[in-house]
Amino acid sequence: MNEILDEIYDDILAGNISGVKANVQAALDAGLAPGAILNEGMIAAMSEVGQLYESGDIYVAEMLISARSLQAGLAILKPHLRETNVKATGRVVIGTVRGDLHDIGKNLVAMMLEGAGFEIEDLGTDVSPQRFVAAVQASHPDVVALSVLLTTTMPSMLTTIQALQAAGLRDQVKVIVGGAPVNEEYALEVGADGYAADASQAVTLAKTLLAL
Amino acid sequence: MNARERVLAAINHQEPEGVPVDLGATPSSGISAISYHTLKQHLGITHGHTRVYDVVQQLAQPEEEILDRYRIDAVDIGRAFNDQDSDWYDITLPVGVSVQFPTWFRPVPQPDGNWDALAPDGTRIATMPPAATFFDQTCFPYVDGYPATYADLPDAMSKVLWSGLVHSPWDHASEADFWTQLRQRALALRQSTDRALMIVVGCNLFEWGTFLRRIDNFLVDLIADPDGVERLLDALLERHLATLEKVCAAVGDIADICRFGDDLGTDRGPFMSPATYRQLFKPRQIIMTDYVKKHSQMHTFLHSCGSIYKIMPDLIEAGFEIINPVQITSRDMEPERLKKEFGKDVTFWGGGCDTRHILNRGTPAQVKEHVRKNIEILAPGGGFVFNTVHNILPDVPPQNIVAMFEAVDEYR
Repeated sequence: MNEILDEIYDDILAGNISGVKANVQAALDAGLAPGAILNEGMIAAMSEVGQLYESGDIYVAEMLISARSLQAGLAILKPHLRETNVKATGRVVIGTVRGDLHDIGKNLVAMMLEGAGFEIEDLGTDVSPQRFVAAVQASHPDVVALSVLLTTTMPSMLTTIQALQAAGLRDQVKVIVGGAPVNEEYALEVGADGYAADASQAVTLAKTLLAL
Repeated sequence: MNARERVLAAINHQEPEGVPVDLGATPSSGISAISYHTLKQHLGITHGHTRVYDVVQQLAQPEEEILDRYRIDAVDIGRAFNDQDSDWYDITLPVGVSVQFPTWFRPVPQPDGNWDALAPDGTRIATMPPAATFFDQTCFPYVDGYPATYADLPDAMSKVLWSGLVHSPWDHASEADFWTQLRQRALALRQSTDRALMIVVGCNLFEWGTFLRRIDNFLVDLIADPDGVERLLDALLERHLATLEKVCAAVGDIADICRFGDDLGTDRGPFMSPATYRQLFKPRQIIMTDYVKKHSQMHTFLHSCGSIYKIMPDLIEAGFEIINPVQITSRDMEPERLKKEFGKDVTFWGGGCDTRHILNRGTPAQVKEHVRKNIEILAPGGGFVFNTVHNILPDVPPQNIVAMFEAVDEYR
């Protein structure tokens, strides 16, 4: 792999935000294709970050700083990606369900999905079923990702999925769920398409459901 | 053996006569106001009150009758305050349940249905959306960066809900005679009950970093700005030691347990690498636990949610004798593993009943089977106080709470 791309890869693994910014710019200045910078320098690095996190070799702090360094690089790269028509892996609408204001888990999932090339629309927290429906109607995502922290707000997952059903949108999206109190059994019970135990597994799940 | 003796025996790793049990001695071993209300209805108890002593998490302070009914072995010294009817007022929660709030807590209903909690200067420090059952933090005083000096640290901390809306006894801490009151009331409580006494001091380090900087920023700081982190931790430690000095002087010879808090685990592992924990937090925890051990009779208790298996040896070395809530559903936290590897070195205050899948969604029979299994794993040889894994939330049916205590009674 190209040396600059190697450096971007290493910078992301180390969470070196200034390094990523400088090297992404250097890569662009050197005429490297934005798509290659994204795929080989950045998405590949985030894939390794995800695996290291899943295996317990790195922790939330490291994953988060790697994700922030990715975002810093993406901010520079995005206009060039648009110019060269590099397509997103897919589109995700994500939010924490109604009644729940917790967002660190959701934010990590959003960042890891972004690190896998997905385009993210983050609706924030305490998101009503109606807002999820409106977002799906407006932006036609491939995946709707629901996050919850509390056992007491888990029922909002069901009401959100029911709202998508009632609006005739359920078949147009894959619904994935996650958060500490959720498990596979609950995901099936509420009619989700899948459950992921952590942010890295959420990426694998989204890609599997979209047959990527 | 009385209640206090049972608890102390367990902490000293002697298997007491009967498993010791907690409900409500800490803000992470209790019951939500809504569940408490529903439980009393189920039991046919129509007198008394549901007093929300922890307004952030909306937890009830169990009344004497419930403590007696379930033979609870420990209580929070905080219950010695706000002991007059005039300390409370009636309010109806959004879900329609009638409770009482302490008179100082006046959340403001908003047009969107949220209830907002304001600091005296009007800063919005917490909010509870209509579909929620507790308050969440809205003000992060150092979200934009660390200050040049920490002269304003007390003011910044007061804008964080865990301090600004703190439970008893600390809601009286600004009163001129607070420390005298604390001693007098603790002594009176000691005379009135044979239960073990807990004082909740908090003295969080990692969590105060997350409360002040916001969790995402502070996690990044651990790696990107460890100097900034250490300056903050030193300022916090200075404050915490000042608190511990006064706590030990006031109740160090009366309270049995001193509860520290610091959520160090996520569902899948510690928030940070063990190396980072050892570098930044462990040395400062040692300073605090050492102080308590040298200046009081109190045993040291750490509340830490999540998967903390990887740092358990360090937490024991850091001087914590008791670990809570023992989140058995999180990674590496199976009761068998914990008991086998750490059972001789630490007391498990929790782990008795999973609240994520079983207590809330199981049948009474499933609850009983689960509780029996956990007690049989965790109780032998002492080092165990029965408690649910964290608070009993509003989604727990009352018949499951009854079933849980029936199973516990089989071991008393």
